[in-house]
Amino acid sequence: MPPNLTVYIVDDDPSVRDALGLLLGVRGYRTAVFASGEAFLQAWQADWAGCLIADIRMSGMDGLQLQRRLNELGCLLPVVVVTAHGDVSQAREAFKARAIDFLEKPFDEDKLIAAIEEAFSHEARNRQDLDRRAQSQQLLDELTRREKEVMELVVQGRHNREIGPQLGISVRTVEVHKARLMAKLGVDNVADLVRIAMQS
Amino acid sequence: MRPLPLLPAAGFLAAYLLFDWLSYVEPLLGLNITPWNPDTALGLVFWLHYGRRAALPWFLALVAGDVLVRGMPGGPLATVLVAAWLTCAYGLIGEVLRRQFGGGAMFGSRAAFFRWLLVVAAGTALNAVVHISLLAALDLVPPADWLRATWRFGFGDMVGVVVSMPLLWMLSTAPGRARLRAVVWRLETLACLALAICVLWAVFGYIMTSEFKHFYFLFLPLIWAASRQGVHGAALVVFVLQLGIVALVKANHAANITVPELQMLDAVLALVGFFVGIVVDERRQVAEELKQTLRLAAAGEMAAALAHELNQPMTALAVYGKACEHLLARGDTGELLKNAIRQMIAESARAAEVVRRLRDFFRTGAMQLETVSAGDLMEDIVGQFRPMFGQYGVVLDVAQAPPLVVQVDRLQIELVLRNLLANALDAVRARPQGERRIRLAAENIAGRLRFSVEDSGQGLSEDVAARLFEPFVSTKASGMGLGLVLSRAIVEAHGGTLWAEVAAHGVFRFILPALDTGE
Repeated sequence: MPPNLTVYIVDDDPSVRDALGLLLGVRGYRTAVFASGEAFLQAWQADWAGCLIADIRMSGMDGLQLQRRLNELGCLLPVVVVTAHGDVSQAREAFKARAIDFLEKPFDEDKLIAAIEEAFSHEARNRQDLDRRAQSQQLLDELTRREKEVMELVVQGRHNREIGPQLGISVRTVEVHKARLMAKLGVDNVADLVRIAMQS
Repeated sequence: MRPLPLLPAAGFLAAYLLFDWLSYVEPLLGLNITPWNPDTALGLVFWLHYGRRAALPWFLALVAGDVLVRGMPGGPLATVLVAAWLTCAYGLIGEVLRRQFGGGAMFGSRAAFFRWLLVVAAGTALNAVVHISLLAALDLVPPADWLRATWRFGFGDMVGVVVSMPLLWMLSTAPGRARLRAVVWRLETLACLALAICVLWAVFGYIMTSEFKHFYFLFLPLIWAASRQGVHGAALVVFVLQLGIVALVKANHAANITVPELQMLDAVLALVGFFVGIVVDERRQVAEELKQTLRLAAAGEMAAALAHELNQPMTALAVYGKACEHLLARGDTGELLKNAIRQMIAESARAAEVVRRLRDFFRTGAMQLETVSAGDLMEDIVGQFRPMFGQYGVVLDVAQAPPLVVQVDRLQIELVLRNLLANALDAVRARPQGERRIRLAAENIAGRLRFSVEDSGQGLSEDVAARLFEPFVSTKASGMGLGLVLSRAIVEAHGGTLWAEVAAHGVFRFILPALDTGE
């Protein structure tokens, strides 16, 4: 299991909440429980990683509303929706809002664990993506203004001979800038350069 | 074929002869060619019950009638021959009816009634043609009178069957008798019959000079009975009217009344009555079915509530159980395990509590009526809702209750009020703070207690209002759409009505019969 992943449980029923916390704790997951969607939103931080298990039927904000609100906030936590009486329209709404799974109460333990694991691997992919993106951004930040200008034109597919006159510098200088920026970004061909530029 | 029991056969014979004698009015040529033959209806009912076994008693009744009532005008041979033919012909009609309506559902629907009418009309017409031709061949009917005799005999049979058979059939079956009893022992039916006799007397006291001009008055009691008591009421009044007409004609020896024409009017009268009665019955049945559906919907709502309420402790139980399994598997028998087991015991107690509460609610299906004042009902429910309303910044306006008391199942009416207030709360939560108002009022509307729940929400469009009371229709994301269905069923069980009004803000009202002012 990747480190730092937490199962966030939102259910307005104290017993169900407590039981889930216990079971997942015993199975070795890190858990955090919340009594309502509002409480979860209040506590939520952008760097939380793991997955969210939310009950649909809750007094106050229901699970689907919570899911929508989190999407609006740009929260990428994968969501597993649970309900005591599933109906098709609820399931549809949940999946449209990118839920990982839709479980019915009482839970089947294996399905619950499978859903959490799927959410976690989803989350891990998300994190890797984010990390790569952050790295690329970091590398790009080290380039000078001129180097960035040269890179943009290279990525657009321009030749050194075109770039020089466009920026008002000699072709030779373009070549120097290009070699230096590729060294800074740690790439040795234009294809990798394009990839990093796209990721940022 | 089992032999026919003796008692019904003897009873049939006696009744048949009585009918024959009663209806032997205005005979043509001294033969049994009369304008009204209820004896045929009796025979058909007999045949419907006993099938071909009815043939012999009917034959004997026909012969006996000819001998005793008319003194055998055509001689013994003609009497036996004619009786044999009539037994065959009537038997055929009876057999067709028996095949078509085995259980006797002739007067249950318009379609069945039509088919019955068709069989009777075609059968009697055919029989009349052959029967009179037979009499003509025996030289009992002169050829010049053939058409008149056929017309009168056929029409007499048909009117006799149409007018009398429904009532005779109802009298001959146990459920029919039970319904007739229920219909007759009512003041309204007795009034209806009294009116029928009055009208009859008035119309016929007059008719000698006015020639049925006032016949249409007879529709009055008939339509009254049919529209109130359905086909059973209609059958009764039709028969009484017919009996009255025949009795008056027979008593007055009113030769100047053209009886066959009167019969035609009477047949139309009977048909109209039966049609109205059948339509009323059909409507009533649809209404009954609807009520049953509502009852089912209410049960469904309770079941859904039960499912949710039970699901929570069951989920917790199952999850605790799994956790215990894992704890035991890794040999952890410490505080964590003990705590989990304690929780499981608490959860099963919670599930039992849910079941107990529901049982209390239903209390074996009977309502527990108690006398409650309108003010108490409102106070209780407002007390339950105040904290929640405060939490959402809802202003609750409670009007002064009138001094009325109602006899209701307090728990159930509270459930209705709770439901309406919860709906109102949901409606106003869509509004910004400061515009969330709910008003609860009770008023005295002509001695009945009307509750109103109004909210400052967006109200109902006509569309939504029309579908509001259908089960499983909900405007909410997490509702099952049965709350209002259940509420309406409860209010109706209390003899009241519940409705929503189309308005720019939410308005729900229900009305209950009140006892009196509880000063």
